[in-house]
Amino acid sequence: MWSPEIIRARLELNAELASKALTGFIADGNRSAGTEGMVLGLSGGVDSALSAALATRALGPERVHAFILPYRTSNPDSRADAEAVAAEFGFGTRVIDISALVDAYFDADETEADNVRRGNLMARARMAILFDQAKKLGCLVLGTSNKTEILLGYSTIFGDNASSLNPLGDLYKQQVWQLSEHVGVPTQVVAKPPSADLWPGQTDEGELGIAYATADEVLYLMFNQGLSIDEVIDIGYAAETVRKIDSLERRNRYKRRLMLIARLSDSAINLDREIPRD
Amino acid sequence: MLTVGLAQMDCRLGDVAANLEQHLEWVERARQQGVELLLFPELSLTGYRLLHLTSRVALRIDRSSEVERLADAAGEMAVVFGLVEEDAEGVLYNSAVLVRGGRVEHVHRKLYLPTYGIFQEGRFFGPGDRLEPAPMADRRFGLLICEDLWHPGLARRLAVGGMKILLVVSAGPGRIGSGEQPASHEVWEVLTRSTALVNTCWVLYCNRTGWEEGSFYTGGSHIVRPGGEILERAAFLEEELLVAQVDPREVDRLRWRLPLVRDVRDDIQGPGF
Repeated sequence: MWSPEIIRARLELNAELASKALTGFIADGNRSAGTEGMVLGLSGGVDSALSAALATRALGPERVHAFILPYRTSNPDSRADAEAVAAEFGFGTRVIDISALVDAYFDADETEADNVRRGNLMARARMAILFDQAKKLGCLVLGTSNKTEILLGYSTIFGDNASSLNPLGDLYKQQVWQLSEHVGVPTQVVAKPPSADLWPGQTDEGELGIAYATADEVLYLMFNQGLSIDEVIDIGYAAETVRKIDSLERRNRYKRRLMLIARLSDSAINLDREIPRD
Repeated sequence: MLTVGLAQMDCRLGDVAANLEQHLEWVERARQQGVELLLFPELSLTGYRLLHLTSRVALRIDRSSEVERLADAAGEMAVVFGLVEEDAEGVLYNSAVLVRGGRVEHVHRKLYLPTYGIFQEGRFFGPGDRLEPAPMADRRFGLLICEDLWHPGLARRLAVGGMKILLVVSAGPGRIGSGEQPASHEVWEVLTRSTALVNTCWVLYCNRTGWEEGSFYTGGSHIVRPGGEILERAAFLEEELLVAQVDPREVDRLRWRLPLVRDVRDDIQGPGF
């Protein structure tokens, strides 16, 4: 009964309705927090482009503050793509180079650090700058993590996964692509292979070893529909891939349940006292 | 004929004072359009996803200045709105209140409290245990809250009991798929339309809009004619006051050719109850 075609059809969105809803989410978040707009990091990739486009629809370009935050090894194309996105939607950008901030720590104290550790610090340096700018500008930090990368844990905890509001967190990667085309994200940004651009030549799919299309479909079956690993394999997905996706999803759950508090009383925050933030 | 209004509004979560002011404005707008019966959504005075704020916004209906102000503002209009009700024993209910002419005419305590998936009502509310007609002068309406409609025996009992117009107030969380309408709304229309068909009655469905805690409400409030045809539908994902004329006599005309309610039987032996 399940087939890749049926699953892909299930992942299709009414793009105009979804954009309208997510635009409302950003506008409501800004209103209820009493803030002046949104700050976000613009990487040149499709996720941040879509978040920025939705924020522009919600609040107007003057309330969208996009920061291009390159490291010295970042691909120059990323910055060019980020600028193309800003030009398309008409909001301003500011470039802040994070090389000195990141290098200061590693050069002085941790010269042996590998790519992953360096990449994590880059992601957290960007987060720190965005939250500082949000404080300065009276804004919220707009998130750009999608459902696929959140479920696979393909993110730096307290880095790129940190935000005040995340409009994309319930969209699988192919839904991000679909909405991005709908709202007019420049084609070269939608079409290019996704990359965290933390070191030269890095791509998401190369590093994960899984194509996004497959990851989305397998996650849809397991996370949305509740199928078991064996049931997903029986549909025709490679056993090794399915097991890897399942393992990533399990191992990275800690990244999506932030602030785990040890409960001693009968009024533990978030457990006994679930107070809405709205 | 009856002029009805569906106040498809957003609500401020936990802010009764702000919501009350909104209600008073919408009542005035409705009055200017000649509305005789005005519906607000489920928990309209408090917002829906209250969790541990529930007890903090609870109101004693007989002692609440908010309820009194709305009852006074209603005048000759019948106004249905939602609140967290605290009874004399301190039990909390998800209630819909009908006020008119300065008085509380009817209170419906939600009978089925969804406590699954995104819903947590059973943790915070007690379930109601009475189904009664909601009166407006010599008229009587059925009044249900959201999940109550998913248990079709209630609408059936109201229809058999003589109610020709069923009022359903809701805070239905939205989902979007590939369809022309929000996926969550498509499901609701299946339900409201089939209810209007098998019970040969009017269904007035008032849903809210806006966002709470990362979840949105679809809007799409609508009126279904006896037999299941959509008479009017409000916009999705935005506020709207939907006003329409409802003719209770349409129920009788349909029932003359489709006597489903007349033919209901409770004497058939077999499984279930």
